[in-house]
Amino acid sequence: MKIRKKSRDAAALNSWLVRRPIQRMVWLFLLPTFAAFCIGFLYPFLQGIYLSFCKFRLTSDAQWAGLSNYKTAFTDPSFLHAFWYTALFAVVSLLLINVLAFTVAYALTQKMRGANLFRTVFFMPNLIGGIVLGYIWSMIFDGILIRFNTSVVMETEYGFWGLIILLCWQQIGYMMIIYIAGLQAIPEDMMEAARIDGASSWDTLIHVTIPNMMPSFTICTFLSLTNGFKLYDQNLALTEGRPFIQEGGEIIKTTEMLALNIVNAFTSQATNRGVGQAKAVIFFVVVAAISLLQLNATRSKEVQQ
Amino acid sequence: MKKFLAMALALVMVLSLVACGKKDEASVYYLNFKPEADAAWQQLADEYTKATGIPVKVVTAASGTYEDTLVAEMDKKEAPTLFQVNVGGLKSWGDYCYDLTGTDVVNELAAEGAVITKDNGEIASVAYCVETYGLITNKALLKKAGYEVSDIKNFADLKKVAEDIHARSAELGFDAFSSAGLDGSSNWRFSGHLSSVALFYEFRDNNVSGMPATVTGKYVENLKNLWDLYTTCSATTGAALSTATSDMSEAEFGQGKAVFFQNGSWEYNNLVLDASKGFNMKAEDLTMIPLYIGVEGEEKAGLCTGTENYWAVNAKASEADIKATLDFLKWVVTSESGTTMMAEQFGASPFKAAKPVENIFCKASDALIANGNYNVDWSFIYTPGTDDWRAAVIDAISQYTVKGASWDNVKTAFVDTWAKEYKEYTAG
Amino acid sequence: MKLKKKDKNKTALTVIFAIIAVVYLLPIFLVLMNSFKSNAAINLNPFAIPDGESFVGWANYIKGMTFGNYPFFKSVLYSVIITVMSVALILICTSMAAWYISRVGSTISKTVYFLCVFSMVVPFQMVMFTLSRTADSLGLNKPWTIPIIYLGFGAGLAVFMFVGFVKSIPLEIEEAAAIDGCGPVRTFFLVVLPMLKPTLISVGVLEIMWVWNDYLLPYLVLDRTEYMTIPIHIQYLKGSFGSVDLGATMALILLSIVPVIVFYLTCQKHIIKGVAAGAVKG
Repeated sequence: MKIRKKSRDAAALNSWLVRRPIQRMVWLFLLPTFAAFCIGFLYPFLQGIYLSFCKFRLTSDAQWAGLSNYKTAFTDPSFLHAFWYTALFAVVSLLLINVLAFTVAYALTQKMRGANLFRTVFFMPNLIGGIVLGYIWSMIFDGILIRFNTSVVMETEYGFWGLIILLCWQQIGYMMIIYIAGLQAIPEDMMEAARIDGASSWDTLIHVTIPNMMPSFTICTFLSLTNGFKLYDQNLALTEGRPFIQEGGEIIKTTEMLALNIVNAFTSQATNRGVGQAKAVIFFVVVAAISLLQLNATRSKEVQQ
Repeated sequence: MKKFLAMALALVMVLSLVACGKKDEASVYYLNFKPEADAAWQQLADEYTKATGIPVKVVTAASGTYEDTLVAEMDKKEAPTLFQVNVGGLKSWGDYCYDLTGTDVVNELAAEGAVITKDNGEIASVAYCVETYGLITNKALLKKAGYEVSDIKNFADLKKVAEDIHARSAELGFDAFSSAGLDGSSNWRFSGHLSSVALFYEFRDNNVSGMPATVTGKYVENLKNLWDLYTTCSATTGAALSTATSDMSEAEFGQGKAVFFQNGSWEYNNLVLDASKGFNMKAEDLTMIPLYIGVEGEEKAGLCTGTENYWAVNAKASEADIKATLDFLKWVVTSESGTTMMAEQFGASPFKAAKPVENIFCKASDALIANGNYNVDWSFIYTPGTDDWRAAVIDAISQYTVKGASWDNVKTAFVDTWAKEYKEYTAG
Repeated sequence: MKLKKKDKNKTALTVIFAIIAVVYLLPIFLVLMNSFKSNAAINLNPFAIPDGESFVGWANYIKGMTFGNYPFFKSVLYSVIITVMSVALILICTSMAAWYISRVGSTISKTVYFLCVFSMVVPFQMVMFTLSRTADSLGLNKPWTIPIIYLGFGAGLAVFMFVGFVKSIPLEIEEAAAIDGCGPVRTFFLVVLPMLKPTLISVGVLEIMWVWNDYLLPYLVLDRTEYMTIPIHIQYLKGSFGSVDLGATMALILLSIVPVIVFYLTCQKHIIKGVAAGAVKG
């Protein structure tokens, strides 16, 4: 066994007293989860990567095709469009959701009257599945837009902001819970000390609360970033990618996000689902890289505080 | 670490050892396409099992997910033995289609041509229902407005009648057309069915039978005629159309607020039979008239009758299962319970033993054909990359209808997308 | 003086939040309202409050629970079985794994952790066909075996969240337990797990919502002639010609939300309690 002293990670400064006995019970603590993880994710995922290099209709009749699927994917303008659109969407939704969710969580922990009730209310949208949410909201958006003789599927901007509103509405409650848990985990004596020092509530927020909240920020920003990238149901139900632009037979679905683009590639190219699979792998690599950068950035702040 | 790796490796090995499915008896597994027929199929399956002892499992794909479901199910140990393959699916599923040549179910067909054949002449799949679409017409309302069905013989007549009804809609209490909803729930009525009429005339001019590499969109301009009527002589116009749903359009017609409703024979159940829908229309008040788009000689046009529902038997199933499936099919199309169920659920079917249809729309089609009118074939079944092509067409139509964009875009979508999708279809 | 101003601010805040809350609830209210209207009325005017003509009483609920020939209560039963078993399995297994990962800084634990984080960015659609095949070939297509799939696919999020919180637990407590002669199993269940309670509940709520509302995974994996769940049941209200029984759909959606809301309301007390207890100890 190697001793890794150089690790910066706080948890890696682990005490041998605790570490050794746990390590001996790897089969109990780690293995069940890891085994299920292999079945439920890793194996299907690796098989998916393999299939991205194949021509296949069913996963059981794949034929090796080299990089041709990747070539098709990279030259597909709809895929490239979906890519940038999704990136923009993920960033905007990340910022909005987290700012709003933190604000709400902060307000709700200020011993406000009815805070419990509000917390429940804000959380409720999470209880409805994505497709249904999409339909409910398209009903609402169109109910409003019809007064201006247009509809949510007519303009790219409407589809974009519509989806942002929908996602905020759905996920603010989800993130709020995590922020509330983080806020309540800040030791009371720390806040007390700040108050005794005569810090204004703004100073306390900036210098005590937020630095102590970094783990929550890490989790929430990561979740909202990946949720933004992975969005599928709501996208399908709200706009299905409409409106389209046509150029020489190529259709660009202006509000189509990556997950939808990939699934469409599965169904529209029935004889070769490998293209969809290749798109999925590209998508995965990029998102994984972005998320890791983001995680590293916020995690490093955690250690500094 | 080593121990751990070994364990992980062992696990992967177990995973890769796909247990071979061994079954002790023949069985049938049907992956059904139509959710509304699920209950009837289950019942029929039970009855067959009771009578013969052969287990029949019917699983229904949720609406709009047949392809995905088929992919997932075909990969399973117990894959469907009976599934649906239409012209568009032939390319991807052809290898899985058992050659039905000489089987009982094909011999039971009343007419030739109700099958899809592969390039090598094998019969891949067999049609099991014949459907009709056109303009569903409320004769009672038409009469109230002072017209008869016989007054409408071509597009000019239709335009005159529709414009008159629309002009007097406040006084009459109903309008000409129910909403031409562009919402995803029923925009196939236009991107698939309506545009098919333009394809039909083009194919007829060029003697096309099969999937052409390109289309010219010669009759796209004619579609505009009818489409403009739909969207002006109606209570719903402009942006509201972009979100009008299938049910909304149906409800307007069902409640007597519109005289015309473009849809198909499958609506018979909803409009007339199904009490829970609450329409309870009288069959004698209804009929269906052809889709007139202003083409020379369309006075002799009939309804659009065809099918895109075909059964295929899984060639990769075990021999016993294939036989059991073929036996089951024969029973469905010949037995009393089978034919009754088929007639109730699907209206007309192309088999010798088929029950006479009650469906007023199928009857209307037969009457027109008997009168010497030509059938407007379902040309849309030859669309390559159906989903994308239809999406492009419907988007162009929406832009035209709501934002006043040019109708030329519809033609562009028609022609360019077709060419592109065909290339992809043949390349894949 | 200062206090008063603060009070005023708080009242203002409450009022603002009350208004936002009402707006926030409107879409759900819309579902509730429409679940009592006839289909035609929903289509023609979704925003109208049910009146004498459009009000249909419990008809939508009855239709939703009786349509087709698969009993609705069986769908509910299987939904409950799958959700309870999956979430229990996820909470126990992943919290243990997270503890291992945070306390043992080895290459293995880091690898597993990163794999878990990676798995979170993969949309389900990317693995849906390969996963459904794997599940089928391993016989994980029954309500009592599908939780293993949920554990596997949901492990990423849960491990990620647990690791984040386990790190904030002071190591001294576990060291003290170890000195007192507690083995890892006892340390985990008697010392660590109680401290994780608020996180257990947060993760639990998130996982419950996911499993309870999940449609595609059980749809692809389960043998649907025998087992259905509520979301699958709802999908069958859609016909192949674009018709949707909206009223019945709304009714079933509402029915499926109610248990989760009840659960959440019950849990909310525990969250507060758990956090309060943690604060006293800390």
